[in-house]
Amino acid sequence: MAFHSEDDKSEDYLFKIVLIGDSAVGKSNLLARFARDEFYPNSKSTIGVEFQTQKMDINGKEIKAQIWDTAGQERFRAVTSAYYRGAVGALLVYDISRQQTFQSIGRWLNELHTHSDMNVVTILVGNKSDLKGIREVPTSEGKALAEAQGLFFMETSALDSSNVAAAFETVVKEIYNILSRKVMSSQELNKQDPASLSNGKKVVIPSEEQGESKKGGCCST
Amino acid sequence: MFCCPYIMWRSGGEDLQGFYPVRPECLADVPRTRFKSRAGKTLSARRWHAAFTEDGHLDMEKVLRRIQRGGIHPSIKGAVWEFLLGCYDPDSTFDERTKLRTLRREQYAAWKQECKTMVPVLGTGTYITMAVVQQNGEPIDESSVENQGWVVKETVRDERVLQWMLSLHQIGLDVARTDRYLSFYEDGANQSKLWDVLAIYTWLNLDIGYVQGMNDICSPMIILFEDEADAFWCFERAMRRLRENFRATATSMGVQTQLGVLSQVIKTVDPRLHQHLEDLDGGEYLFAIRMLMVLFRREFSFLDALYLWELMWAMEYNPNMFATYEELEDRNNNNNAADDPKLLKRYGKFERKYVNSGKNERHSNTIAVFVVASVLQTKNKRLLKEAKGLDDVVQILGDIAGNLDAKKACKEALKIHEKFLKKANRP
Repeated sequence: MAFHSEDDKSEDYLFKIVLIGDSAVGKSNLLARFARDEFYPNSKSTIGVEFQTQKMDINGKEIKAQIWDTAGQERFRAVTSAYYRGAVGALLVYDISRQQTFQSIGRWLNELHTHSDMNVVTILVGNKSDLKGIREVPTSEGKALAEAQGLFFMETSALDSSNVAAAFETVVKEIYNILSRKVMSSQELNKQDPASLSNGKKVVIPSEEQGESKKGGCCST
Repeated sequence: MFCCPYIMWRSGGEDLQGFYPVRPECLADVPRTRFKSRAGKTLSARRWHAAFTEDGHLDMEKVLRRIQRGGIHPSIKGAVWEFLLGCYDPDSTFDERTKLRTLRREQYAAWKQECKTMVPVLGTGTYITMAVVQQNGEPIDESSVENQGWVVKETVRDERVLQWMLSLHQIGLDVARTDRYLSFYEDGANQSKLWDVLAIYTWLNLDIGYVQGMNDICSPMIILFEDEADAFWCFERAMRRLRENFRATATSMGVQTQLGVLSQVIKTVDPRLHQHLEDLDGGEYLFAIRMLMVLFRREFSFLDALYLWELMWAMEYNPNMFATYEELEDRNNNNNAADDPKLLKRYGKFERKYVNSGKNERHSNTIAVFVVASVLQTKNKRLLKEAKGLDDVVQILGDIAGNLDAKKACKEALKIHEKFLKKANRP
């Protein structure tokens, strides 16, 4: 491959993950907390898409999570959805202190399913759990929705950092697990097989368009 | 080159940051400001006032020359911007402009009143951050506390009113996080001034509506102008150049037209870089969206962004702009200007190139596209060598925050523009 270089070996896997959800639910601050352990009380709205990468260690493997942070306003859908392509994980975020952001989750799920050509490992994230006094979405409601839709679930606070790393890790670990099973089974068959597996949820790791460049949607082992 | 220490001291000595103070606790998060008012280059208050005749005619040519050399001193920015953006005609008198200003303020007050009858929160020094209606027009009443006790009482049936009301909380959510590192926005009244202007602009421009990023364009106007109506009109004029970027449909955003031009430009002036980006699946240049939509507000400090804007606007200056906006008959059209060097001097450097090439059709190429191209060019080596994925591209471009020189970027942009016109016109 043309873009292969020496340092590629240091990273075992690369996962593309998208952060989506309504405006001002705290997507960018979740990412800032996770990637840099920072929180910006004065953070600005995201225009278009921004991104961060974060290295993680799962079972002794180094995994690079490439996290794409998107604008929350619907008007940006046409450009942000282009970034869903190739994503293997998603954090679907709402704000526990604003019921309206929870009601939008269905719309976001549709959006994700329309634009990503595979089933993406998805976690439903109720952010701003520190705002206990003005909570509008009970934990049980979030949990119930996640179960109904077959999503992971967690409540987080980018402000006090509770569960932030855990939420990202949940997604990454699950992708990794699915992938290791896939690698094992495909080693027996043919390596070129674009991996569709049945373990309750079907997760297809994209390999067509992105496999061409150095950083495939995943597995550059 | 001769440069005496006295000049050095004079040019660099003024603390311009004091014009737009940053909250002390936010200093670490803000890119440093590079702009300095330079004697003999920057348009100073003295020079500005000297550029008017007794009855108020403005020597725009002189003013443009200065701005393109060294920007505008913060003490007069607002007043100069009004001419740069075509709010006022330099060929008018003080009296004429005073009349026009009064008219505009009255017009704004009328629009504000119209909006206020629909949403009484407007103009009260507070603003809305929670949705007030559902998509079907039914009121949402649980949001009254966050929305200053106000709720919509009846189902909204008018489609235009509904579209407008649906955007109000989005404006509020963005206002609450616009330039909050500036001391100016510690005052809630200033936040709500920003909200009022954006809400009223949205009401008058429902074909585009409110789109995130407009707040970044509007915020400096709120800071520069004491009078809210004046701020509105300056914003409105700035948006004449930018509004198409914000037009969104289900499948595209207006800014993609500019991205298409950017793609053409890079393809023409730096085919290798274009090919490289295309190989990385970045041929659509989506990574440049933010730079174009909020005109580099995120890459520069507050003051540097304003400096860049006025450089760009000066370079794009077209003396017919005021008449075009006012829909008056063009007093002198571009045809004549091409043959008349004297008239030609009244155009900005960038705009002049178009007029000079004899092409009379309205072009949609803005200098901002070429500024992005110049930024890409300065990162050309790193992009070719280090970028192995789109993420690297974003990363490399992200490193420019606080490291760009507005004037250099504009100078490069003009060069690239020239190169592009030459190559593009080649048969």
